[in-house]
Amino acid sequence: MPELSYREAVRDALSRAMREDDDVFIMGEDIAEMGGSMGVTQGMLDEFGPERVRNTPISEMALAGTAIGAAMQGMRPVAEIMYEDFLTLATEQIVNQAAKHRYMSGGQLSVPVTFRTQGGAGWSPGAQHAQQLEAWFVHIPGLKVVFASTPSDVRGLLWSSIYDDNPVVFFEHRTLYGLKEDVPDELEPIPLGQARVHREGDDVTVIATGRLVHEALSAAQEAEGEGISVEVVDPRTLQPLDEETLVDSVKKTSRCVVAHEAVTRMGFGAEVASVIQYSAFDWLDAPIERVGAKFAPLPFAPVMEEFVVPHANDVLAAIRRTVGRNGN
Amino acid sequence: MATEIKLPRLGQGMESGTIVKWLKSEGDEVEKGEALYELDTDKVTQEVEADASGVLLKIAVAEGEVPVGKTIAVIGEQGESVEVADDAQEEGSPARAREEDRARGREAPSEQVTEIKQPSTTNGRIKASPLARRIARERGIDLSNVAGTGPDGRVVAEDVERAAATGAPVAPPVSAPTAPPQEVELEQLSSMRKTIARRLTEAWQAPVFQLGISVDMGRTLEVRKRLVELNADSAKPTVSDLLTKVCAMALMRHRAVNALYKGDAIELYPTANIGIAVAIPNGLVVPVIEGCERKTIAEIASARVELVDRARSGRLQQGDLDGGTFTISNLGMFGIERFIAVLNPPQAAILAVGSTEEKPVVVDGQVVVRPRLELTLTCDHRAIDGATGAQFLGDVKAFLEEPGLAL
Repeated sequence: MPELSYREAVRDALSRAMREDDDVFIMGEDIAEMGGSMGVTQGMLDEFGPERVRNTPISEMALAGTAIGAAMQGMRPVAEIMYEDFLTLATEQIVNQAAKHRYMSGGQLSVPVTFRTQGGAGWSPGAQHAQQLEAWFVHIPGLKVVFASTPSDVRGLLWSSIYDDNPVVFFEHRTLYGLKEDVPDELEPIPLGQARVHREGDDVTVIATGRLVHEALSAAQEAEGEGISVEVVDPRTLQPLDEETLVDSVKKTSRCVVAHEAVTRMGFGAEVASVIQYSAFDWLDAPIERVGAKFAPLPFAPVMEEFVVPHANDVLAAIRRTVGRNGN
Repeated sequence: MATEIKLPRLGQGMESGTIVKWLKSEGDEVEKGEALYELDTDKVTQEVEADASGVLLKIAVAEGEVPVGKTIAVIGEQGESVEVADDAQEEGSPARAREEDRARGREAPSEQVTEIKQPSTTNGRIKASPLARRIARERGIDLSNVAGTGPDGRVVAEDVERAAATGAPVAPPVSAPTAPPQEVELEQLSSMRKTIARRLTEAWQAPVFQLGISVDMGRTLEVRKRLVELNADSAKPTVSDLLTKVCAMALMRHRAVNALYKGDAIELYPTANIGIAVAIPNGLVVPVIEGCERKTIAEIASARVELVDRARSGRLQQGDLDGGTFTISNLGMFGIERFIAVLNPPQAAILAVGSTEEKPVVVDGQVVVRPRLELTLTCDHRAIDGATGAQFLGDVKAFLEEPGLAL
């Protein structure tokens, strides 16, 4: 089993799809010679050439629109939006075009496009280069939304996203690119809409996405030392959501913490909390806790950035609250 | 002469970079211009080329953040000895200072800690989690007597479990046990009991009336005796089997009773599918014998034997329970003289059968002893009126007293 970093796992999924299928190609700003601003597509120009590894002008709206058009013509484009903050510029195309055409054409058109993007704090990129905007897109009927947290997940989920006939917004986390894991030689596609239980536990379920999966796992480790058994579940696909796995887990533990790096207010976690309280109401033994960033633009100053975004200790504090302990 | 490889400044404002991985290992031959390692900066990740040729003698920083200008590796000739300070992030360096800053931000207290208080009621309102409420409901525990140990004195599941184990006062509506609570045995509802509870509660909503009648069973018992002789090799016909046949014949003459009440319509059935209430361990089932008006009593007897056998051994299938149009419930074998059966909705009527008893009755002005049976018919008044039910029950009596009339 080769060891792949999260970055290499993304590249591996893209390359394998492009080797197997002429309809798959990638496009984005500086993805060719430069290999992408995060180095994800390094070396792909050499293997696949400029026809299939396409640099685009610095216009997210134009690049998104082009990818959507190509998808409607039968291609399976993977468009890279350099920072998810810049999704805001492509939102018209993604929300009003990609998400709508299948519906508005009565199923005559499909838009099998994948928008890969990355974001996240932890390296002082400032307020315009570190946001977590997944909640904007899970709110749109017609889009699927994925947020992978490990090398094997990112590879299997990206493959399934490329081959899904619907538009997929695929979130990667900046600080996970260097994360390494042994990954099987064979690429195992991971179906969209299937959560992953990272760790089983009896007392509290932590439902976490992206970087917070790892923060939750280390909080769980810490909690174990205090005699609290924590289950950690990553939905992986935010839309469609694997409600069954999440609800079953909470029915088992009776307590729930939802954790993501995005701002807590009106976030993805609010929807998860609502699903859980409705479907597992009579099983809940404590209010559902939410962990996320404070309601503020991300500061540039490292000390302030760390203060605003959540970490393992915030997850641990929430875990303790659900079991009615103050913690010390 | 060894060359120290330092972290380059790749752009304006770059103060540090993060080494992601080395593309060469210590001891490898390196050509100037060859990719040496992957570097992550604020904006990009890129491969950095070697700026000298030779052997990669030492990798000083395997991975992690490094300030610009710091020595990260040494290239020189095979066998040359090199020394590089191991501390990649010197005291006072910008990278080290930033890491310290980050740690301070991460550890800053940001969440208000909820203090756990003891009082659990405010104006009579009890704070309890949904799970605690559910468990209390199921076990009949009065939450006002349970001390809450959760945040703000909230009663949590564990508190209720503890109260249940130590025998906290049980909620008044559920029961007022005189026996010590330790002796109360809790039996969770089986799915069958839940179904019984739901169906019979539903039945209770129907406006019902009962009709009672007393029957001379002399002729029926004679017929039964004869049938037992005739069917010596097969299932022995019982009084119940005769009743089933007799009811089927009466239902054919009173179709309004062989009916289902369906809210906006009454369904009148052309065939008598008669349900037989069967007691089984921990419950009750009502398997159905279809088309009883067309079956002989012997056929009804063997169908009944098979169904009761399957019911008691838990081998009934859903099909055995569906399609009933009328139900007979017989408690005669327990010596019950008469009782009132609860409707089996959506069926419009159910017949309760008591025991056949020797009783003094007046026949032709003389008191004589006769075998008597009491029947009680419960009718859904939404589907059946009193006279309709009475005519049906009158025919059942007539057929039992003079079986030939059923022909």
